Amino acid sequence: MTAGITKKIHDTVFMIGELGYLGVESIKCCLTRPFYFSKLMEQINLLGIGSLSITIVIGLVMGLVMTLQFGFGLAKFGGTLYVPGVVALSLTREMAPIFTSLLVAGRIGSGITAEIGSMNVTQQVDAIRALGTSPIRVLVVPRLLAAMISLPLLTAVSNVLGILGGMVICSVEFHIPPGFYFQRVFSTVKLHDFSSGLLKTVFFATVITLVACYKGFNTTEGTKGVGQSTTWVVVVSSILILISDFFLSKIFLLLLV
Amino acid sequence: MEEKALLELKNIGKSFDKNVVHLDINLKLYQNETLGLLGGSGTGKSVLLREIVGLEYVDHGEVIYHDQPIQNLKEIDLFKIRTKISYSFQNGALFDSQNVFDNLAYPLFEHTDLSLEEISAKVAEILGLIGLEGSEKLMPSDLSGGMQKRIGMARAIILEPEIILYDEPTAGLDPSNTQNILSVMEKLKGTGVSSIFVTHDIPAALKICDRILILYEGKIAFSGSPREFIDSENPIVKEFFLNSIKEV
Repeated sequence: MTAGITKKIHDTVFMIGELGYLGVESIKCCLTRPFYFSKLMEQINLLGIGSLSITIVIGLVMGLVMTLQFGFGLAKFGGTLYVPGVVALSLTREMAPIFTSLLVAGRIGSGITAEIGSMNVTQQVDAIRALGTSPIRVLVVPRLLAAMISLPLLTAVSNVLGILGGMVICSVEFHIPPGFYFQRVFSTVKLHDFSSGLLKTVFFATVITLVACYKGFNTTEGTKGVGQSTTWVVVVSSILILISDFFLSKIFLLLLV
Repeated sequence: MEEKALLELKNIGKSFDKNVVHLDINLKLYQNETLGLLGGSGTGKSVLLREIVGLEYVDHGEVIYHDQPIQNLKEIDLFKIRTKISYSFQNGALFDSQNVFDNLAYPLFEHTDLSLEEISAKVAEILGLIGLEGSEKLMPSDLSGGMQKRIGMARAIILEPEIILYDEPTAGLDPSNTQNILSVMEKLKGTGVSSIFVTHDIPAALKICDRILILYEGKIAFSGSPREFIDSENPIVKEFFLNSIKEV
């Protein structure tokens, strides 16, 4: 029992160390040549543009549902006029970054792990090393940069669509004219609210990619192992996103208030 | 004066948890020599090749290449050495999302300043050498096992390395494909390349190799010429022979 717990702690500490090493090596590779620009563009297409359609749906639905709930909730206290500001602020600071990141963690995190994990169990990662090249440079860096570029952009799309969804519900359900809606949104949401949400997603993108690549590189036991790794990545990166969001929110509030 | 070894392994030891794979391995590889490394399944033949090229770290001992110990080098320092000591994987280990051309061109793009035209010419030349002309656009999934092994071998030799490590290149192949692989190996041997040939295929080893080693219980249990191998009274060699015949 005690031995099992000790091993678990040892493995966790070891994993954190390896993740840190992967992060440091990835940054080093980002700052040195050679740089695989075509692979970066390929990954932006795959991770970013590939996630666009589902981001549009999530963003729009989030705006519609939140506005509906806040609208009916605040209407009881005569606070319907506050709905645009509350919805826009919640979306830009928290909801859009978190939901988009969780969605991306599920979609691209598992994809990255499955791809690298399959390459690992079929010795393709070893082949990259045996051919005198770095798997971190070839596999991790393009995915990391693509996620760091794509996720804030996807979140921005999600923000815009959420706010537009809110406008539709405000207009139809609560008879708030679009002009007034946007005036309330722009007077409530400041640039730092918007940018803090986007900055969070750069951190989340780093977490998702590093965790996914790490697990991919450590995948064993063939196709069964690949399946287990992808599940693990979605769970762990989602938990890390939610926990780190609390601390990031706290930091941004301290910095901005 | 004794000839200088190109590659030397000294007192190599390696374990995976409690499983001891290598106890004390010593061997030397000379210029233009082909070593056949035989041994039962699980005796650590492939692991030994991986240790040489730095894909696995050794627990103790030295891997000496051109008088330089390389066993403790960092990954980044091993990159240059891996262009000189290449590793041909057992299953080819081709990049399955890239076609044959991209697989073969990869090391050239990484380690040379050749233009696209020169790389295309080099790829065509190497495909000619392995008898797969015109297969540049095929994907690995379009290739048979034997073809994948040959492409994997071609990728390993495209940078013209000094030493090639062949990991069971003929395993699971029909006689025709085996012959194709062996003829490529013979052609390369003719160019002065040294190699270590891990195999269970005794006839192939006898045909290609200058020296045969048997790995047994973590040590080199036999080392000698193909003739000495055949005539050996060593019980380990005899047992290996008998087991191989039984397998056939």
